[in-house]
Amino acid sequence: MAQAESPQTNLLQGTLDLLVLKSLSTGELHGLGVSRRIEQITGGTFQVKPGSLFPSLHRMEEAGWLKSFWGDSENNRRAKFYRLTKAGERRLGVEAEEWGKIVAAMASALGSI
Amino acid sequence: MSIWSRSESLLRNLFRRNKVERHLDEELQAYVALMMDEKIARGVPAEEARREALVELGGVTQVKQAVRESRSGSDLESVGQDIRFGWRMLKRSPSFTLAAVISLGLGIGATTAIFSAVYSLLIRPLAYPNAQRLVWISNFWPKIHMDTVLSPDFVEARSQTRSFEQLSAYTVGDENLTDAGEPVRVSCAWVTENFLPMLGAVPQLGRLFTESEDKPGGPPFVLISDRLWRHQFNANPAIINTSITLDGGKQTVIGILPPHFRFPDLQLEPDVYGPQRIDPDASISISKRLTNLNVIGLLKAGVSAPEALAEMRTFYASRKASYPPGFQSLMQGQQTRVEGLQRHLTGEDRKPLLILLGAVALVLLIACANVANLQLARAGTRRQEISVRGALGASQTRLIRQFLVESLLLAMIAAALGFAIAWGVTAVIRRTQLPEAASINLYTQAVPLLRLPFGKLSLAIGVDGWVLAFTLGLALLTTLLFGLLPAWRGTRPDLARFLTGPAQRVTSGREQQVLRQILLVAEVALGVSLLACAGLLTRSFLHVLQADPGFDAAHALTGVTLLSGQRYQAGETKNSFAEQLVSRLEKLPGTRSAAISSILPLDPYDARSAFMMEGAPKPPMGMRPSVPVISVTPGYFRAAGTPLLEGRTFNSGDSPNLGIVAVVNRAFAARYLHGEALGKRFDLNSWEGDPRPVTIVGVAVDTRHGGMEQAPEPEVYLPMAQFPQAAMRIIVRGDGNVALLSQAMRNAVTATDREQPLFDVQTMEARAQASLGQRRLTTLLLMLFSILAVLLAAVGVYGVFSYSVAQRAHEIAIRLALGSARGRVLRLVVTEAVWLVAAGGVIGLAGAFFLSRLLRSMLVGVSAHDAVSLCVAWLVMMAVGTIASYAPASKASRIDPNALLHAE
Repeated sequence: MAQAESPQTNLLQGTLDLLVLKSLSTGELHGLGVSRRIEQITGGTFQVKPGSLFPSLHRMEEAGWLKSFWGDSENNRRAKFYRLTKAGERRLGVEAEEWGKIVAAMASALGSI
Repeated sequence: MSIWSRSESLLRNLFRRNKVERHLDEELQAYVALMMDEKIARGVPAEEARREALVELGGVTQVKQAVRESRSGSDLESVGQDIRFGWRMLKRSPSFTLAAVISLGLGIGATTAIFSAVYSLLIRPLAYPNAQRLVWISNFWPKIHMDTVLSPDFVEARSQTRSFEQLSAYTVGDENLTDAGEPVRVSCAWVTENFLPMLGAVPQLGRLFTESEDKPGGPPFVLISDRLWRHQFNANPAIINTSITLDGGKQTVIGILPPHFRFPDLQLEPDVYGPQRIDPDASISISKRLTNLNVIGLLKAGVSAPEALAEMRTFYASRKASYPPGFQSLMQGQQTRVEGLQRHLTGEDRKPLLILLGAVALVLLIACANVANLQLARAGTRRQEISVRGALGASQTRLIRQFLVESLLLAMIAAALGFAIAWGVTAVIRRTQLPEAASINLYTQAVPLLRLPFGKLSLAIGVDGWVLAFTLGLALLTTLLFGLLPAWRGTRPDLARFLTGPAQRVTSGREQQVLRQILLVAEVALGVSLLACAGLLTRSFLHVLQADPGFDAAHALTGVTLLSGQRYQAGETKNSFAEQLVSRLEKLPGTRSAAISSILPLDPYDARSAFMMEGAPKPPMGMRPSVPVISVTPGYFRAAGTPLLEGRTFNSGDSPNLGIVAVVNRAFAARYLHGEALGKRFDLNSWEGDPRPVTIVGVAVDTRHGGMEQAPEPEVYLPMAQFPQAAMRIIVRGDGNVALLSQAMRNAVTATDREQPLFDVQTMEARAQASLGQRRLTTLLLMLFSILAVLLAAVGVYGVFSYSVAQRAHEIAIRLALGSARGRVLRLVVTEAVWLVAAGGVIGLAGAFFLSRLLRSMLVGVSAHDAVSLCVAWLVMMAVGTIASYAPASKASRIDPNALLHAE
């Protein structure tokens, strides 16, 4: 079966998409690179498995937010690279803003016990 | 932008799948390679690094599947996959697929065929504008068997009632058409001027009647049918405004009706239409000439038939007051009817059709149960495959969906087969004509139409768009019926068990076994019920066939001619014609006797007379009993083969001066004279005339009139010499093949009068057969369907026990190895089968008990709970079921225990 179906999957998917977009905002990366990058920018909290990463990358590419191309990695290995499109950049901005609102709301709600 | 991108991806995913898959594969390989590089860089050995990388990947297949599922078009693609997979699975078990397709195909085909008949005859709206607002109106007077609307009442209703937008009326009859090639007898209708417009008839040439022409004394205008125009007048357009001769009188043709116009009567298609010419005076009196009209009305928008009926009842109640006293007593017990035209036309045919539809639906259910059983059994053998697929990551939903797709595929193939069968069956129904009349000089279209079981609408039975939609709907329905349960049961996630080994297989499927047995019992029950009902109908049919009809149908030829026109107004002219014709007929080669009668055996009565027994108190006119009267020439009883029980027939010595003589039938003698009829006298009355004393000189056996199934009524035969008739129905009895006399009969008629057409020539046997046509067809079809049901049940027994034996092969092998005799094993299986079939049979008999009530109105001479039919049905099913179980039983007994046990 694909990765564990936990009730948080949906939330994770949206969050994951956002993280992927963010990780590509500074430049293009291949699949493994995105995974390492996310690990890095979240301070090790999120370790994204390929079973979630690749569906996300492909889905976002179909939606037009990413564009892929084949290139050479650091070690001169051929790999598939991804980068943000203009639409992807816009999406990143929108999603980040949404996320900010959610965070603020949650903080306010939880902070007022 | 996003949409464009998505569509692009969708198309790419669907059509460039290989390329897409390859790219994904490469991408994942690259990922693994990069990961390996990382680990190697940290000092992990290459082998180890590779293994770790793969583990971290989480399984290439899973990742690929996850990506695939998230792709656009993944749903479509997977359905496509399911179809291909289903097709492969069906091909892999050809015997199952064949059995299932044939069972379902037959079930769907039979159901569709009958449905198309039901649709054409009962559901499809009549081809008239506003057909749903057309109603048939009549008033039934039980005392004189009159079901009609009297012309003055019609006139009054037209002005007094509020429910109808239009009221129109017609009468029908035949006339001789002469002066246009050979003389022919044509069927005519006299209609009010609004009749044809109301039914949407637009003339292809000329015009319809106007209101001013539809009056007594109006101009002699007629319309002719397209058929008559083409056959008799060569489609010559110059016929408009020329005249044709009907019954000796000249009529001017003013228009020609369109080819597709259908007269609203199942049996008639008139070729000539004339104005009805109703007298506008709405009063009723005894001396006035009254016409019995057939009335069709167009309801006003928003008025329902029951509302119109209520108004007509009130109307008739108030009319009664203006009737003369004699009429009022005749009206006792009258029933007014207002019913939808379509319902009226198909009324009698409804019941047999609906019975057939019910029967065929049962057959379909049996077929579905069969296939469900086969599916369940097959699912049992696919357990391992299913569990492996489940372990590989298929969800239960996906598995169920795939099974359903496979079932749907099966149903579609079966539906195609079924549609082809239905097409064939409806073609056969269309062509089923009962024995062809040896008709000459007759509008041949009319006769075969009359012979079709459902009248001329039978020609319309065929497969069309609606029927096709019905077939597809059936396919879907049956898919659910036979596919859902096995799919659900077969894919339940108790997967681990089934991977463990043979020991499990012995006890697994216990529940499924019970389910299969229940389905089998249900199948057998349905089959027995159907067979029992078919048996009842068959016995009824045989009963009707064997009942003494009161005449001898063999070696008798009949024909009809009608004397009309000025030349034959006087009684003596009719008599002279009759005498000459009979003497000519008697001289035909091989003829033993010949006679003329006003009606023939099996014809409905066409004349009744009031009468009073001598010495009985004289009730007022309207209260007297009436009796059908038949005018015959003296040779009638010999010619018809109706033996005289007592006394004599008429002879030349019976002249009017010596008083009227009559022959009565046994029923008359029994009812009115306590069986002692010879020599007694009674008075005959017409409604207005003086009583005429009659002496009974003979008693004949009861003859069936009105159809083979009608019970005989009291009848009076009168000498044609004293009661001359215009309707001359000829019957000639000869040796050998009387059909060969047709031309000779015609020659005799034209020799007597050059302008008299002879028509409706057929053997008496053919008429007898025709009278039973519909009953025969229904019985035949029902018997066919029940045999089908029994066969399907037998296939079910065979199938279920085959799989059961295969399932328990292990257990049986053990028994044999432990010393059990082979014969014992055989008996074991057969006994089990017998128990199941017997149980199903008993339930089926109970079902038949209830079902037979529905048939009650069609049963003649057989009770609805006839023990013979029920027992025979049960025994047949037992025999068939036992035989069907023999093959798997013998296979079980021949299991080689060594081979099986060692193979484990």
